[in-house]
This record gives sequence, C-alpha cells and structure tokens, in this order.
Amino acid sequence: MPEPGTFLLMAGLSDAAIAGVYVSEQGKLADREQPDLWWECVEGALADAGLGLRDLDGLIGPAPDGYGVRHALPASAVADVVGHPLRFHANTGVGAASQAAGVGLAALAVANGLAEVVVIPTAAAGSGAGYTAADRNAAVEHMAKLGSPFEAVMGTTRVADFAMVARRHMYEYGTTSEQLAEVAVAQRHSATLHPRAVMRDRGELTVDEVLASRLMAEPLHLLDCCLVNQGGGCVVVTSRARAADAGLHTPVVLLGWGEGHGYLDPNTAPELTSFSGRLAADTAFGLAGVTRDDIQVAGVSDHFTISVITELEDAGFCAKGEGGPFVDDGGIALDGHLPTNTHGGYLSGTHAASCALFTLIELVEQLRGEAGPRQVEGAELAFHCGVGGVSQAHYAAVLGRG
Amino acid sequence: MAYEGFRPDITPLDAPFWEALRRHELVVQQCDECGQLRFVPSERCHNCGSPSATWAPMSGDAIVYTFSIVHRAPTPAYQADAPYAIAYVELAEGPRMPARLVDVAPDAVEIGMPLEVVFDDVDDDLTLYRFRPRPADPKES
Repeated sequence: MPEPGTFLLMAGLSDAAIAGVYVSEQGKLADREQPDLWWECVEGALADAGLGLRDLDGLIGPAPDGYGVRHALPASAVADVVGHPLRFHANTGVGAASQAAGVGLAALAVANGLAEVVVIPTAAAGSGAGYTAADRNAAVEHMAKLGSPFEAVMGTTRVADFAMVARRHMYEYGTTSEQLAEVAVAQRHSATLHPRAVMRDRGELTVDEVLASRLMAEPLHLLDCCLVNQGGGCVVVTSRARAADAGLHTPVVLLGWGEGHGYLDPNTAPELTSFSGRLAADTAFGLAGVTRDDIQVAGVSDHFTISVITELEDAGFCAKGEGGPFVDDGGIALDGHLPTNTHGGYLSGTHAASCALFTLIELVEQLRGEAGPRQVEGAELAFHCGVGGVSQAHYAAVLGRG
Repeated sequence: MAYEGFRPDITPLDAPFWEALRRHELVVQQCDECGQLRFVPSERCHNCGSPSATWAPMSGDAIVYTFSIVHRAPTPAYQADAPYAIAYVELAEGPRMPARLVDVAPDAVEIGMPLEVVFDDVDDDLTLYRFRPRPADPKES
C-alpha cells in the first residue's frame, strides 16, 4: 500500500511512450471516404507498434465521420467497430493542435493506468468541411470567419491575421521578408526528402522565388503560407515497458509537457509579436529538467513563415526579436543550428486535419533514428510546440528516447 | 448595391456596440469599478474582475498599430474591394480594435499613421465602422 497521500501523486509522464506512428498519403483525397482513411491510420499506427485493434482501449479526439450519435460519443462509436468497450476518451478541440495536444493526455492516462493503448488519429478526406474542405475557396471563407465577428466583417483573412503579426514584428525588430522566406526555403528542402510530403516533387525553393510569389496579405506571399490539403495520420501511446517489449522501434517518451493559453482579444494581449508559447515551453522544459541547448531538433506550428520565428522566440531558442537572424542563412535547415519542421512542416509537408500531429510524428521518427535522408545526426532530445488558433493555444513537449 | 459581406452574429453581450454604430457612435465597455476600457466585449473586467461596466463613447481618433494589405479576400464580395488595408488600430483612449482602412492608398499606410473613425451604413440593419487618415490639425501646423 502506498503511504497516505502518495496515491495522489501523478505517475511520471515518461512511464508512457509513443510506440507507433503512421502517415497516410497526403494531398487531395476527395475520392476517399474519411472513415476509410481514419481506420487506415489507426491500424497503421497500431501495426507500427506491434499492436492491433484488439489492443486499443483508449481514444483521443473525434470518431470517424458517421451517422446518428457517433459524432457525440466517439469512443462508443469506436467500441462498436472493435467489438470491445474502451477505457479512456478525451476530446481536445483546439484547432490545428487538437490531436498533438492529446498526446500529453494520452501519456498521463497510460502512465496512471487509465488505459493501455491510446490511439490519437486525425484524418481529412472526401468533400470535407470547414478548413479541411477539398474546395479551396470554401476553406478560405471558413477560416476567415474563425476570428471574432469584429474581424470577419472587416474582410480579414487567416493570412491577414498573421500578416499583421509579421508587420508588427518587422516594425519592432527589423525582421525582413527575406528572413521569412528562409523558413520556407529550409522546409521545402526537407519536404523533398519526405516520401509523403505534398511538395516532395516540386523541387527546391529560393528566397527570390518566395518573394516573387503572389501577395496574399502583405507582407506575406503565397509561399509564406501553409498548404491547404487533406490526409491522415495517427500516434499510438502505450506503456514504455510494453513499447520496449515490442522491440520494433526506440520508444519515444514525453520528458516534459506544458501548455499556454493566451488571449483572443488583441486589446487584452499586451503585444502582437509574442504569445503564450513561452509559458508552455517553460513548463515543459522545467518538468523535463533540460535546457534549450540540449535540443537537437524541433517542430513548431508553421501556418505561416512568421509563425516559426515567433514560436522559436517564445519557446526560448533565441531572444525575442532575434528570430529573423536565427532562421537566416539556413539556421533551421537540416544542417542548421536547430533543424526545425524537418518533414516540411505545414508549408511544404502537410497541413491536413489536426496537422500538428504530423510535426510530432516527424520528431518521433527523428528520435528513433528512422528519418532516412532527413535524419538529424545525434538526435537525442526534441522539442515540439503545437499551436491552435492565431497563436493562442500552445502545447509544448520535450521528447526523448525511452 | 446590396451588402454581401459577412454579418456579425450579435449576442446580448455585444449588441450595444452594434446598436451604437447605428447611431454613428463608437463605444467600448468601461469598468464601473476601476475605469479600465476594454474591447472586444467581455463579461468581466480583465483588470479588476468586476462584472459591472458602462458603454463609453470614444473620440474616434486612433493610430495604426499594425496592418496588412489584403490581396486574396475571403469571398467574392470582399475581393471586389481588393487590395484593401486591414489594421489593428489603437484608439486614443487605449483599446485596440480590428478595422478596415478607407480613403487611403494601400502603399501609403504605415504604422503610427493618425486615423479617425467613419461610419458606413451598409444597409438598413447594419452599420460598420471604418478608419481613414486624419488630416493634420490646422491649429497644430
């Protein structure tokens, strides 16, 4: 029996491990049914972990699309299909970061005995809806209305939201359009080396090509913007012991986890160039007991090139305002001082569904040493920050080899 | 021509803001306890936590805090105006708000530019605020 009080202590995050990952084809999947893709991803990630549907007892996020109350009762919808009840479910609806946010919850659930095998899938296919729509115009219109009504009626767009951040960053810190373009150039190169990257076959980019692409919302060009595409992926979290027993891959553990939820209201927000990523990263690094200098490879949400700059600053990899010089001259390229978004990111890799999950999966592959031509030598510790909204919700993770 | 832009989903919380625009007044909430001004509308003062607030008229004077020139608009109705300037403006009284800038060439917009509010009765039910460059005060020149 534990001593009085000790039963309240939360088991260590790193008693759980990411044991399986899967990335489907990415691109325009209008001819596929979303549930078909969803199950492909779940089965693929379970197989990667040496597990199967019979082992699944936890779910993060929505069920595959379907009829009736499936939408409202996701874990029961999955129980119907796998033929046994699930022991754990949580929804984390925070935009692009939703499923990556769920990895922390899954690890806590497994480490504390609430479940043994939790799947964290995301999938967008078919005609789609909202920002996952196959129709680009419909997706753009949907995203323009995600902000407050005060913004939408003015004719803002999601690009303009981040363009205003970029403009202010340029004004306060002298950041240049060339530095923003460096982010797109570095990530495109990585995408050419990833078998599932949407832009794999589109060749290298140059800074001049980014600057010559058409203006979307000044100062952001088309090639400063993320892709609009479909696709699926999945992560499996189980106990570190079980992952090690499977012996298929190096288990990847969460050494630290932290969240930061900043302001929706630009009046309440003290500034428009810094967000709550600092809070999330400080918590994650504090729990992990490591420093920024210990990190070899990173992944941060890159809806736009400026996002990488503000997120790396807020995560503490450089001082506020120094993100431009930090990414300059290939700073985040595969051979740079902090390789970042080495699957191509949302800019050139994939921006499907709850897309931060793909950034996290790339870091798992890096820590396993299975990233092939993208492999960052000596990758022992990785940092991830998934972002939801216009830089409001942050989910930071320090990942290591278990 | 009929207004084809987005219409706000008006809630009881922010209805007084939209009603004031119909009267060509720009108002924000002012905390009855500590005097803090706030926008967008909210249920409590973010400075002192008080739920009690009064809608206070603003002068309409502002500066550009940051901006973007939108080339790819959200819908065809907005695209007809493109390229156009979107900004966060900082009111003389302090609060910031999103706004469309009018009566200004896109390449003339810059951070810190003085602005004044104007009101656009887009149809019989909806008035939107805009900001345009504020001419220099002749008494100051």
